[in-house]
Amino acid sequence: MPVDIANYISLSTVIFFIGVIGVVTRRNPLIVLMSIELMFNAANLAIVAFSKLWGNNAGHIFVFLVVTVAAAEAAIGLAIVVQVFRRAKHVDLDEVAGLRG
Amino acid sequence: MNLAFAMTAASPALLSIWLLPLVGAIVIWTLGPQLRRNAGYLGSAFVLVSFALALANFGAAGNATGLRAPLVTWGPGFAFGLQLDALSLLWTLVITGVGGLIHIYSIGYMWTDRAIARFFAYLNFFVFSMLTLVLADNVVGLLVGWGLVGLASYFLIGFWFYKPTAVAAARKAFVINVFGDIGIMFAIFACYAATGSIAFSDIFAKAGTFSEPLVLAICIGLFIGAMAKSAQVPLHTWLPDAMEGPTPVSALIHAATMVTAGVYLIARFAPLWNLSPTAQEMVAVVGAITMVTGAILGMAQWDIKRILACSTMSQIGYMIMGVGVGAYQAGVLHFFTHAFFKAQLFLGAGLIIHALGDEQDVRKMGGLYRKMPFTFAAMLTGTLAIIGFPFFSGFYSKDAIIYEALEHGHPILFFAGALTAGITAYYMFRMLFVTFFGSYRGDVPDAMLAIAPPVPGAYAAHDDGHVEHAPTWLMQAPVAVLMVPTVIAGYLTIGGESSPWYRYFGTLFGHGGNVAGVPLAIPEWASTIFVLVLVTLGIVVAYLRYGNPPALIGAVDRLRGEALKMPPVLAHAFYVDALIATAIVRPANALGGAISRYVDPHVIDAGVRDVAWVAGMLGALFRALQTGLVRAYALTIVVGAACFIAYFAYLGTAR
Repeated sequence: MPVDIANYISLSTVIFFIGVIGVVTRRNPLIVLMSIELMFNAANLAIVAFSKLWGNNAGHIFVFLVVTVAAAEAAIGLAIVVQVFRRAKHVDLDEVAGLRG
Repeated sequence: MNLAFAMTAASPALLSIWLLPLVGAIVIWTLGPQLRRNAGYLGSAFVLVSFALALANFGAAGNATGLRAPLVTWGPGFAFGLQLDALSLLWTLVITGVGGLIHIYSIGYMWTDRAIARFFAYLNFFVFSMLTLVLADNVVGLLVGWGLVGLASYFLIGFWFYKPTAVAAARKAFVINVFGDIGIMFAIFACYAATGSIAFSDIFAKAGTFSEPLVLAICIGLFIGAMAKSAQVPLHTWLPDAMEGPTPVSALIHAATMVTAGVYLIARFAPLWNLSPTAQEMVAVVGAITMVTGAILGMAQWDIKRILACSTMSQIGYMIMGVGVGAYQAGVLHFFTHAFFKAQLFLGAGLIIHALGDEQDVRKMGGLYRKMPFTFAAMLTGTLAIIGFPFFSGFYSKDAIIYEALEHGHPILFFAGALTAGITAYYMFRMLFVTFFGSYRGDVPDAMLAIAPPVPGAYAAHDDGHVEHAPTWLMQAPVAVLMVPTVIAGYLTIGGESSPWYRYFGTLFGHGGNVAGVPLAIPEWASTIFVLVLVTLGIVVAYLRYGNPPALIGAVDRLRGEALKMPPVLAHAFYVDALIATAIVRPANALGGAISRYVDPHVIDAGVRDVAWVAGMLGALFRALQTGLVRAYALTIVVGAACFIAYFAYLGTAR
């Protein structure tokens, strides 16, 4: 028996909000990056679920694209974190506020 | 825009008359450093060729319409061309003829001036501008010339720009003249609005259909221009100051040609003036006031050039009064004779000034009769002509104006004219006696009274301080030539209505309007005798005060004392300068000060500051959002997204 679509969406929502809370509350950029990954994958899960529901394979293709972008984003994000560390000798996001107006 | 060039048979000659002086100005200006003194000969040549061409077209210009050369058409009713009719021709002949003589004279006068080439470039430019003024066949061309002569006059008054007084005088002349230009400009607007054309012929053809107030308005606008250019009260104050320029400039621009442009303007617009007796009245009265004022001021001057400047003012007053009462031919005739004798007087004064090492105060002259016989002869002829001594040129023109004032029904103007003739005789002979009789009162050594023939070609002063002068003939020949018309120019009018003068100008002016009943009809000879009695009286008074041997004893001390005793109202020239300063300059300054103190900081600057303040406040507002905290941004995004979701959710439930 197929799993009801509501379960997928519920799971996806939970994971997404874990990610959001991670991004908003944590000061360690590595945790923030991981939280962003969580959000990406929550979205992927939702897309795949809907894709399966409607029998439309475009959703699968789209997920591949998201995964690729997420990989690139992680690479750039980590590079930025490394540069920030080299400069400031710490990686506390709240201290990295040079663009305050 | 339709740009069409039309060449007619008349064009080449007319164009050459008009453009030759401009070519001269450009060539001299370009090659000035190479030409140096040769610039003078070159400039004179250009002007004299122009004169010869004008003379060659004498006959063609004399017929009813004159020579015409349409040049450029910009649009319907907006065509520029040249026109050489009798009136233009007269002015052209004087501008190029007297102008050419003054050019030659200037070579000698400016001999040692390093900027001699610049001087001749300006002088040629002036001649071109003046020709533009009188040759244009439309009001716009006339205004362009009108403005350019003002510019040339500004250049030449301020020629010695290292003298602060000269610069101030140049600026004063220019500002007052521009004030007049504005009057003419409004007259042109009115003409164009009424006729849709700028050509004289179109305007005059339709002049009959103008309403009375329109004619009056146009005439007032034109007359404001004429007053400024021709130094009529109360816009006359620039003329005595303009004597700061070199003497040939005073002779050419501020005596013979430019200052008479007002007379030309009124004579040219005679068809309009004939339609408005009120306007004529205004012109005649202002002319008469200027005539008397100039003469009275002339009595109180010690600077030989200022005496002549005041007399110029007075004589132009005569001309303006003449054209004002409708005696156009007499007024124009007086322009013609005045150009000769006044140029001659100025050039003679220039000879004195030159010989005495730039001394212009008549109190430091005296006794020059023996040392400068030629100059004395020139000044005497000029003086006799200007006071209207019988059989000299001024006699014919001035008498005609005075008598025609009466004939056209203005007895008061007649008496004013006669009285002024007497005053003129007094102050001119005063100048003559003080300058040429008695003993020499200056401090220039006898040897330096260098009327002695000098060596041409030398440029700088010798070691012993003796300055080489130009060849004597360079400066004397033009004066000698001018003496001929000074004496005989008036003979053109002998024979009344059938004289060559009246036949030539007969077709030009309509009948002079304003011929009212004659309340004081006396024959012309009676008027002439009346004037002559006053003139003789003036000479006698001048002789008693300055000419007879007892008066000449102790002349220096007495003249000094007289300067102190001068009534303050004369010493201050009727306070006109002070009045202008009080009525216009000071209020304008006060207004400017008030604006800079109140309007500028509290309105203009305040407005700019307020705009900047608003931008600053907006910036402060948005700066608060830019915390630099990444997590705050993330939260903002989340909240924003939440708002969107809530909104669409709400839409979903509402449906």
